[in-house]
Amino acid sequence: MKLYLALTVASMKMYFRNKQALFWALFFPLVIMLIFGVMDFDAYNSPNVGIVDRANNPASRGLIQALRGTDDQEVLSVATGTQEEMLDELEYGDNKAMIIIPEDFGISGQFSELQVTYDERYQQERAVIGTVLTQVTDAVFKQMAKVPDEYRVEANIGISESFIEGQGQGFQGWLIPGIAAMAIMQTGLFAVVFTLVRFKAQGVLRRLKATPIGASHFLAGQLTNKAIVVILQTYILVLVGSLVLGVSVGQGRLGAWVDLTILSLLGGALFIAIGLAISGWAKSEETAAPVANIISLPMMFLSGVFFPLSVMPDWVVSFAKFLPLTYLADGMRAITVEGAAITTLGSELVGLGIWIAISFVIATRLFKWE
Amino acid sequence: MIEATDPVIVAKNLKKRYEDINAVNGISFEVRRGEIFGMLGPNGAGKTTTVEILEGMRDADSGEAYVNGINVKENPTAVKAIIGVQLQQNAFFDNLNLAEIVELYAQLYDSSVDPIEILSRVGLADRKGAMYKQLSGGQKQRLSIAVALVNDPVVLFLDEPTTGLDPQARRSLWALIQGIQKAGSTIVLTTHYMEEAEELCDRIAIVENGEIIALDTPDALIDQLLDSGFKPNKRTREATLDDVFLNLTGHELRD
Repeated sequence: MKLYLALTVASMKMYFRNKQALFWALFFPLVIMLIFGVMDFDAYNSPNVGIVDRANNPASRGLIQALRGTDDQEVLSVATGTQEEMLDELEYGDNKAMIIIPEDFGISGQFSELQVTYDERYQQERAVIGTVLTQVTDAVFKQMAKVPDEYRVEANIGISESFIEGQGQGFQGWLIPGIAAMAIMQTGLFAVVFTLVRFKAQGVLRRLKATPIGASHFLAGQLTNKAIVVILQTYILVLVGSLVLGVSVGQGRLGAWVDLTILSLLGGALFIAIGLAISGWAKSEETAAPVANIISLPMMFLSGVFFPLSVMPDWVVSFAKFLPLTYLADGMRAITVEGAAITTLGSELVGLGIWIAISFVIATRLFKWE
Repeated sequence: MIEATDPVIVAKNLKKRYEDINAVNGISFEVRRGEIFGMLGPNGAGKTTTVEILEGMRDADSGEAYVNGINVKENPTAVKAIIGVQLQQNAFFDNLNLAEIVELYAQLYDSSVDPIEILSRVGLADRKGAMYKQLSGGQKQRLSIAVALVNDPVVLFLDEPTTGLDPQARRSLWALIQGIQKAGSTIVLTTHYMEEAEELCDRIAIVENGEIIALDTPDALIDQLLDSGFKPNKRTREATLDDVFLNLTGHELRD
């Protein structure tokens, strides 16, 4: 135990004297977060709207298509899903309205009513969405009834409006936990890979093997060091992010910090294991670096760190949602933005658990000291 | 019970095969307590493999090795605890200073030795705050000897300690090694340099193709050669080029 502490302290000293590691672990994600955070993407994006399509018939699909617009001219940024999901997005996510298309929509001669729920904090978006909806339903109805455009038709589609006060923290609130998750990935992968591969190539690990303790204790100290760094990173990124970008953490729930700590450790364990697998296999930094990049770069862009999965094509989402970083980013986001307790995170914890297990098995298979 | 007159190292018919090469092919020898024992031989002769088997870093395919009466194969950890090791390729942590490196290694042996005292034994006390990468080649070798001394080893293994050093650094390292012997340690060293073996070693083993082809004191080996009628093809002189170089450039270290 004394020895383990000594090795951990030595590892911490080595880490904090390594300016390059500090740059990538703290400075880089912080700067990225602040740059993206101060940009106002909402200003030129069409408002995000969630649609619950209960009718799921040609008419309702036509309506959704019309609300989406064309590739060249997007009208609304539309995501579809269950009422539960869309309500969640409206309340905590970046959606400004939820539209429910009733089952009887599009059945000729029958009056049906679209139920629209707005986030009352966004009146400007509400005006845009409301106008678009009126125009589009009108057009869709005419088409359905095969009525020539020049005839004015009394629409038998009604629109009912209601309001809730969303708890979402906008893009900034959405961005911070994603960047924190990305930073965990970077530390786990790169800090572990570069220190261990260098020690291995230089013969540091071999020299440790000549001591009665062996190199495994040293490895334990190194990994503890990385776990501590991962937690510090999360605290600093979330704290600075929330203060500078004006976002509340975990809906003000103090326990959110405890949950963030636990989730950061899980994420740390996962990416440290992947880092170990790479450094166990690679003989030099030249072979390790490309592999670490091939693993981390796609995740950086496909796991919902900088923009939500919903903006990507369905076929990308269908595998991106299973990526390790997606589970971690989603979990961090649920805790910081929605104020969810870690115990309520089902699929995220299961997903992380499975990935941790897979990575540890691969790491123990691949790891070689020399 | 181990007697002071017992050999400190016993190697019996050690064999080690790598794929199609017999790296060590039946090596046996004993090292006496307090001597400097040299292993000489060309690259790939099997010196380093033999030493690594004795250090518990590699398992022999067959044969037995004992260090201070401990069977190396059965209890490598106990052997590692009482030996000091300088590997051919030594490297230490980039971002720790010398005192921190020595202290960390002392902790690995659960030794409470004063890092500064160890560093002053190898003449590096004034560099205690320096980082490993700032050291010269000779200083790096001194540090790796310092690290090998933290547990006050019964046997010190030095694998090519002076390879790549300038003559000044080499001579100062020789003095250091002799000092360590005087303080009571047994030393096993490998080298390519015959003048080094002649200067330092009480006895030497010449290794070729994984076998010991000669083992005796340097003087006895030279006498045997001369007795066999050997005539050097060059006239021996009273001084060597090494002496010329050192006389011109001085004996002080150039670190």
